[in-house]
Amino acid sequence: MTTIIPFGPQHPVLPEPVSLKLEIDNDVVVGVLPSLGYVHRGLEKFIDTKDYNQTLYICERICGICSALHGVTYARAVEKLFDVEVPERAQYLRVIWGELNRIHSHLLWLGLFADGFGFESLFYECWKYRESVLDIMEMTVGNRVIHSMAKVGGTSKDLSKEHIDLILKTLDTLEPKIKDIEKVFVNNYTVKKRLVGLATMSKQLAYEAGTAGPTLRGSGNAIDVRETEDWDIYRDLDFKPVVEKDGDCYARTKVRIGELYESIKLVRNAISKLPNGEIAVPIKGSPTGEAIMRCEMPRGEVVYYVKGKGTKNLERLKIRTPTFANIPSLLLTLPGAKLADVPIIVLTIDPCISCTER
Amino acid sequence: MLENEVEIKSSAELLKTVEGLKNDGYRYATMICLKANEGHDLIYIFEKDYKLKNLRYYLKPGEKPKSVSGIYLCALLIENEYQDLFGLTFEGLAIDYKGHLYLTPNSPKTPLA
Repeated sequence: MTTIIPFGPQHPVLPEPVSLKLEIDNDVVVGVLPSLGYVHRGLEKFIDTKDYNQTLYICERICGICSALHGVTYARAVEKLFDVEVPERAQYLRVIWGELNRIHSHLLWLGLFADGFGFESLFYECWKYRESVLDIMEMTVGNRVIHSMAKVGGTSKDLSKEHIDLILKTLDTLEPKIKDIEKVFVNNYTVKKRLVGLATMSKQLAYEAGTAGPTLRGSGNAIDVRETEDWDIYRDLDFKPVVEKDGDCYARTKVRIGELYESIKLVRNAISKLPNGEIAVPIKGSPTGEAIMRCEMPRGEVVYYVKGKGTKNLERLKIRTPTFANIPSLLLTLPGAKLADVPIIVLTIDPCISCTER
Repeated sequence: MLENEVEIKSSAELLKTVEGLKNDGYRYATMICLKANEGHDLIYIFEKDYKLKNLRYYLKPGEKPKSVSGIYLCALLIENEYQDLFGLTFEGLAIDYKGHLYLTPNSPKTPLA
């Protein structure tokens, strides 16, 4: 006989509300039904009353964790409509702040994950190190969470020599700290016991399930939007996707840890190659036509669709966020799992409900 | 018109094309719904080797679209989203929230319609 157990919307491991109705048979999940709608904000409707520049500020507020990259992706989508190339310096600046965004997002997730399996001090360590990246954001753009550095046509902020010194010094301090916490996540007996072999998705299954980001790459799929022609700049920065083959919770964790080092490398490379020059080009007129822009957010690929109608307002903005792509995979990975492992499995898709419900 | 876009004329052609894309190794990215004339345009976005392929299907007023969640399970969330926001009714949805994926009984009805 099966029992229905609600997981969420309020749960110690969930920083945001989402509910899973779990069908349990003898402590094992046999069915799952996700329920959303607790924080839906209707932002795709809200932009009806905003012009295309104001819409950027709405997009930045879709998520407090990957705010910078939402702004950049929206700006790039609208720039496609205008068919404008932003200055090279602005492209590099976007990479620097975008990758710093990824570092603090992954450190946030590692902390939440450590908390999820009961390692409280590790949770504190991860969040303490994340603070140093938020400090960089505050010093360089004036805000810790909503960065407002992207604009249609380039960036609205620049980096000074002092800012660059601060970033490099912070990363030099941060990197060995990440190596310290990595030892626990990767080598600790208890952590491995909880994660290895848990909620495994084969390469094929993760691909066909439409998953994105570390969830996809943790199953051996070397797919990262930073390799696409829309993001040519990453080729100059020696970017390589981080991929793990095993497809379990442990593999997804290792992908995110590997991406911390990759992002640190990208920031350093971007700074070393940062060209002089303008940070924005003026944009005139109103957008027309349709465009799609993708970006690799910390949680995976985001898809922006924009349609202009020759007025200041967009006719349609549609955003497919990475968690939206990853939630259906829970229908495949949770059945067969023990009830006690559900929080860990859910956390390994790094769910962002704020993004999902826009 | 988007790059690499194919116009689909009927729901039978849509399902056949989507099935063919799956067999060819395409990944389902998402679907866009927007108002077009009196009906809606549905743009299905697929990806393979970083290249997008877009299928555009014009949904006539009152027409019920066929769900592709039987081919790509992951399509179920976005199809349910458009049931909520545009008032569409997808036939054959793998899980049908019946217009209540996001919206409660007291919410505004079909706010993007």
